Amino acid sequence: MDKTLDENLNSPAETVVGPSVKIQGDLNSEGNIKIEGQVSGKVKTSQSVFVIPGAKINADILAGNAVVGGEIQGNLKITGHLILQSTAKIIGDINCQIFRVEDGAQFSGKCSMGQNGVQPPVINGKKGPGMKMEHEIEPEE
Amino acid sequence: MEFEIWNSKLHYYILDQNGLPLDKFEKLQTELQGLLAEFKISGETARVTPLRSIGDLVDTASQRGATTLVACGSDDTFNVMLAQLKGRDFTLGFIPFDEDSMLAKILGMENLAIGVKTIAGRRIEKIDLAKIGNGYFISFLEFGVMSHKLKSAGLWQNIKLLSSESKSFIVRIDDSYTVTLSGLGGLVANIRLTSGKNQTIANPTDGNLDLLMLERLKKTQVLSYKGAIADGLLEKVPNTTVIKCKKIEFLEPRGFSLTMLGRQVAKFPATVEIIPQRLRMIVGKNRTF
Repeated sequence: MDKTLDENLNSPAETVVGPSVKIQGDLNSEGNIKIEGQVSGKVKTSQSVFVIPGAKINADILAGNAVVGGEIQGNLKITGHLILQSTAKIIGDINCQIFRVEDGAQFSGKCSMGQNGVQPPVINGKKGPGMKMEHEIEPEE
Repeated sequence: MEFEIWNSKLHYYILDQNGLPLDKFEKLQTELQGLLAEFKISGETARVTPLRSIGDLVDTASQRGATTLVACGSDDTFNVMLAQLKGRDFTLGFIPFDEDSMLAKILGMENLAIGVKTIAGRRIEKIDLAKIGNGYFISFLEFGVMSHKLKSAGLWQNIKLLSSESKSFIVRIDDSYTVTLSGLGGLVANIRLTSGKNQTIANPTDGNLDLLMLERLKKTQVLSYKGAIADGLLEKVPNTTVIKCKKIEFLEPRGFSLTMLGRQVAKFPATVEIIPQRLRMIVGKNRTF
């Protein structure tokens, strides 16, 4: 994991949605957002979103980075890293720069990587030479 | 931060006994007047009486053309004075009569003598002002959880308070989204004792309010987190919801109280908003922010 992402992920969340909280509407923040409860509407931040196992989101997510351990029904547009943990369940389309999936994560939707087809090169976790590509994963049956 | 050219004749001091024994209050009043004369910032002093409320004295200060209004008393004295400003433009100061004053610690004036020295130094910081209805505050409001009750209560009483039945709260944030929470209550903070420029929560210069909402605790958690809750540090308690925003509308349960230091200031439905950098406050060099 690169240093900036690591720092970003370890910085405290500006917005924390507790487990018994339900949010309806557009949740906008300028800092990190940690979601343990339920959100329906839209989630937007230029920083990172953490969806904790047990959280349920019925919303589109626009964020700098995202670490997902809960359930999301909606599209994800992530300008940086997207990490799906083993407990993650996503129904929706994904657009991100760098994508990591742990064993057991479930994903049903389209996945496109890199803006305008340009993907920041990451090989074995290290930055490599630039290359153009666009991945598309077909939805699960 | 700025320093202003000032005229001590335009200082207006509101002296409030507010629960102090009369002999102690009179001793403090004498000490204060001596120090004000020594630092050549005497201005005009007026004492709160049953017939002259803090609101009346703020009106008088305004009529006399005072530019600096100084609350001398407890945190409550300052909060009531702030609520009575009604949009009038003053530079504000505070001189504590109570050594346990939270506001004094935040503003960096631990006692009366340092308070007077601070007023004379006239270091001014612009800070955010929170508005509720027609009133204002700079510190924090609580609902459901009363930190001062927890501080004075014993362990069994705390267990009873913090593991009691949850209430269903509905609040609307920034006209953008609605939060529904089943919990014990929480607080809305602009400043608290741990406030600082580098703090993300309760930073009085960031132009935001912080809403912290507490979920029901297990009995075993009460002992671990009683202190943090009593100090208003709810974010240290697991499962606490933290929201940074500019406007909070408390919608449900209707009639539920919003309190400041145990004094009710409004009932749900109520709206709290932040006015960024609105207040010119005289602060000490040891302030927390």
